[in-house]
Amino acid sequence: MKNKSQKKLDQTVSRRFLFLSLFKGSIIGTIGWKLFDLQLVENRKYEKLSDNNQFNYRIIVPERGRILDRKMRLLAGNMDGFSLVLNWNKYLNVHQIIKNISKIIVLNEKDINNFYNKIRFQKNNFSKQILITKNLSQKDVAKLAVRIIEFPEISFSMSKRRVYPQGIIAGHITGYTGPYSKNVENTSLHGIDVGRRGLEKFFDTQLRGEFGRKRNEVTSKGYVIDSQIYENTKPGSDIQVSLDMKLQAFAVERLQRGNYDLAFVDNENIKNQISKLKNFSYVSNNQVYINKKKKVVNPQSGSLIVMDINNGEILCSVSSPGFDPNIFTKDLEVDDWNYVKNNSRSPLLNRSMAGVYPPGSTIKMAVALAALESGIIDYKTRFFCNGSKELGTSKFHCWAKDGHGNLNLMEAIEQSCDVFFYELGLKVGIDKIALMMKKLGLGQYYDIQIHDRAKGVVPNIKWKLKRDGLNWSLGETLNASIGQGYILTTPLQLVTMVSRIANGKFAVNPSLTISSENKKFKVLNINNEHLNFIKKAMEKVVVGKKGTAKNYKIGSKNIEMAGKTGTVQVVRITELEREQGLIKNEDRPWEKRDHALFVGYAPTINPKYAISVVVEHGGSGSSVAAPIARDVFKHLFKL
Amino acid sequence: MNRNTNKFSSETMITVFFSKLLKINWIIILCLILLGLVGVASLYSAAGSDWNPWARNHLIRLIFGFCLMFFIAFIPSHFFMKYSVLSFILGVFALILVKIIGSGSVQRWISFGSINFQPSEIMKLALILILAKYFDHISKIQLNKLIPYIIPILIIMIPGFLVISQPDLGTGLTIILLGLSILFFVGISMKFVIFSILISISSIPFIWQQLYEYQKNRILIFLNPEMDSLGSGYQIIQSKIAIGSGGLFGKGYLLGTQSRLNYLPEKHTDFIFTLISEELGFLGSISIILVFCLLITSIMKISFKVESLFSKVVVFGIGFLIFLYLSLNIGMVCGLLPVVGAPLPLVSYGGTSLLTVLIGVGIVLSINIHDKKV
Repeated sequence: MKNKSQKKLDQTVSRRFLFLSLFKGSIIGTIGWKLFDLQLVENRKYEKLSDNNQFNYRIIVPERGRILDRKMRLLAGNMDGFSLVLNWNKYLNVHQIIKNISKIIVLNEKDINNFYNKIRFQKNNFSKQILITKNLSQKDVAKLAVRIIEFPEISFSMSKRRVYPQGIIAGHITGYTGPYSKNVENTSLHGIDVGRRGLEKFFDTQLRGEFGRKRNEVTSKGYVIDSQIYENTKPGSDIQVSLDMKLQAFAVERLQRGNYDLAFVDNENIKNQISKLKNFSYVSNNQVYINKKKKVVNPQSGSLIVMDINNGEILCSVSSPGFDPNIFTKDLEVDDWNYVKNNSRSPLLNRSMAGVYPPGSTIKMAVALAALESGIIDYKTRFFCNGSKELGTSKFHCWAKDGHGNLNLMEAIEQSCDVFFYELGLKVGIDKIALMMKKLGLGQYYDIQIHDRAKGVVPNIKWKLKRDGLNWSLGETLNASIGQGYILTTPLQLVTMVSRIANGKFAVNPSLTISSENKKFKVLNINNEHLNFIKKAMEKVVVGKKGTAKNYKIGSKNIEMAGKTGTVQVVRITELEREQGLIKNEDRPWEKRDHALFVGYAPTINPKYAISVVVEHGGSGSSVAAPIARDVFKHLFKL
Repeated sequence: MNRNTNKFSSETMITVFFSKLLKINWIIILCLILLGLVGVASLYSAAGSDWNPWARNHLIRLIFGFCLMFFIAFIPSHFFMKYSVLSFILGVFALILVKIIGSGSVQRWISFGSINFQPSEIMKLALILILAKYFDHISKIQLNKLIPYIIPILIIMIPGFLVISQPDLGTGLTIILLGLSILFFVGISMKFVIFSILISISSIPFIWQQLYEYQKNRILIFLNPEMDSLGSGYQIIQSKIAIGSGGLFGKGYLLGTQSRLNYLPEKHTDFIFTLISEELGFLGSISIILVFCLLITSIMKISFKVESLFSKVVVFGIGFLIFLYLSLNIGMVCGLLPVVGAPLPLVSYGGTSLLTVLIGVGIVLSINIHDKKV
């Protein structure tokens, strides 16, 4: 029989038993709930994390499409390159590996620094392929390959490197490729090059193709145990552009030469001069340009565009100084970068499309057309030029100090008389001139395949009021009438203007692509008779007795060019300076010399091509720009 | 007292054996076999579909352990009472020995040739036995006063702190928790319980200072695993990923990616449950827990049925020990508790916890056979 205390104990134990059972039940319940939460409620999240552990996706980059010129010459292509990569994980002694590799091949110091930087920024310890160097030679590969057993952590990868065989000749047009973005953290796109400039940028999606993906199964220590293609790549398509690289090459050489002479770097005098110049550009390894005074000079800067006046195709588009896009696809060298970055002549600027210049006298056709179209003057209207035109207190000079005398429109264009156009401008008014300029393609963007372009300025009364809140003054009309003052144009706009005049029917737009079918342009809507008259006047500029470009005829029986010269003042000349006598262009510092311009077309009968030449601070349009245009036409027509 | 005595005179050994065999609780045996086989299967998967190095050994240990369990089950239960004090003293001696000759920087093991033996595990059983004996004895006097609890608290704390100083915080706390649960079970006053809880909470800062750096880290990282997602927190993060990615049905047996690709640390020992959860999903893991629950409730039922306080306490203690193993291990792998190093008995690879549980269940079976109301 149980005694009292025994009974009480039994009771207590039973109670405690129950209590503890409840306690255990609640603990098990908590665990069950936690499992429910992990496995059912948050399942998705953990599945994803598990997938991230298990798989590691690598982008497969398709081969980038090529860029070809109109005769299928290569502008941009791909070259096989060998890269060396480290299959990194946190257990590796990276320094030792690099040291061992360095015993076999020479590693670029910059590559090594980059490599260590990448290692330093590894946030997690999961394995990754880290690039050691991109520039492995065949020899290096062979050397390493025979000893690959000593380096289980490294592997080679064949990569394609973008190359531009034309180099510096067409850098502005092709542009270049570069890393996706330097700031992007997305490492899956790491090391993928995309178009950064020029055609490479504009046609990036077509050229790039479609990325594929590879799925690797990796262990916690980073060993890839399985790999399969997850998405297929689609190679990029080739792009054909309207450029003719042969013409382009000729044009670059001709523009840069200007009126200079070639000289070999063979005497102390020349070497001495070179050492004093900053950012000096050689013509070739041992050749430089010298001017008439035997002084060493930089090649001419400027732009040269040749355009088909019927379909708007651009045959060549030169911007000098150029840059070699290949320097961007290799790892950029400091010297190369300094050359393009700190050069006062800004090689990176595409002068043809993004450079703006006052058009100078090359605008006179537009002013004349505006006057003819508005019926204010006819072909016989004459004005007298005595060398200057007075307006209020100001005096506006003609380039010919003693004046041109009494002349009509044809003669005024031929001799490029400024006073005639002052009078014309005053009669027509800026708004009508501006309208004609717009009609001929100035002051607007074109639908061209280069993002990097400028709009220029075509001023009118409203524009000035909007910009400065000031009324337009007549003096400004006079300036605008000879292409000075507010007005700014790009060389591309000038060549388009000439194309439209030469075409006569359609408002041609420039294009860098070739299309097999005929392009449809808007109707130009200018009286054909007026246009023919202007064209006649432009012919006179070259063939006329007093033509400003009379010294630079093509001189062929069948083919002659027509055009208009332009000389643009870049500094204001005061009355005092004028009285003391003008300083000769060659004697001024380079930045203060006049721009030399020439626009034209050829042949005169059934025109085919238009040209615009801008030689920055080159001197006079007739003596510097016109011969360049003539020579390019000669080359183009194989004369 | 109405004790079951053995009368060998009129019965042959064989009939005794069979009568005892009939009294064995087969549900418990079934649960143990099931869990053991789950362990073998999981270890086979953990090794990447290979019997080596774990699954085969585990199976051999299981067979040996079951034999031992059955052998113990046939030993009359008063034998355990008789040798409880001796086993405790031996246990304490072994713990002290381990401090002196133990292998490795963490002194937990005693090696006999190729067999490694962890005295702290066996200590758990010895503690249960000596406490049971003590309370069985003391109950005849009085148990509602506080004084009789002083000796058992000492009995608990000596091995407890010896183990903690090994250092093995997990096992040490398990021993202390086990002992205290027995004190609670036999009816220590509620006031005292609340008082001790308050004391222990207020002593946390002092204990914190006594902890080793890695122990502090474990606790800190438990509180915020992302703090050290590559070091100690890595284990628990990867473990949670594995469990969570299992979903309802799991990734399929042998198909767990976290384990196959070695993202799971200690997947064959303390984190074996993670592997099971990943491959068999919520249904699989809950089933395992349910089998454990069935095992524990079956043992608790015996504890409720048996007559003597010694038997009650022993059976309760062993049941509670299994419960502690279960909840510490699963609580740890699913992030409810810090990583303390607690195996999942019968499933985890490792002989000592397996033996502890099987010997313990052997004792339970023996009590079930020999100590019953007539």
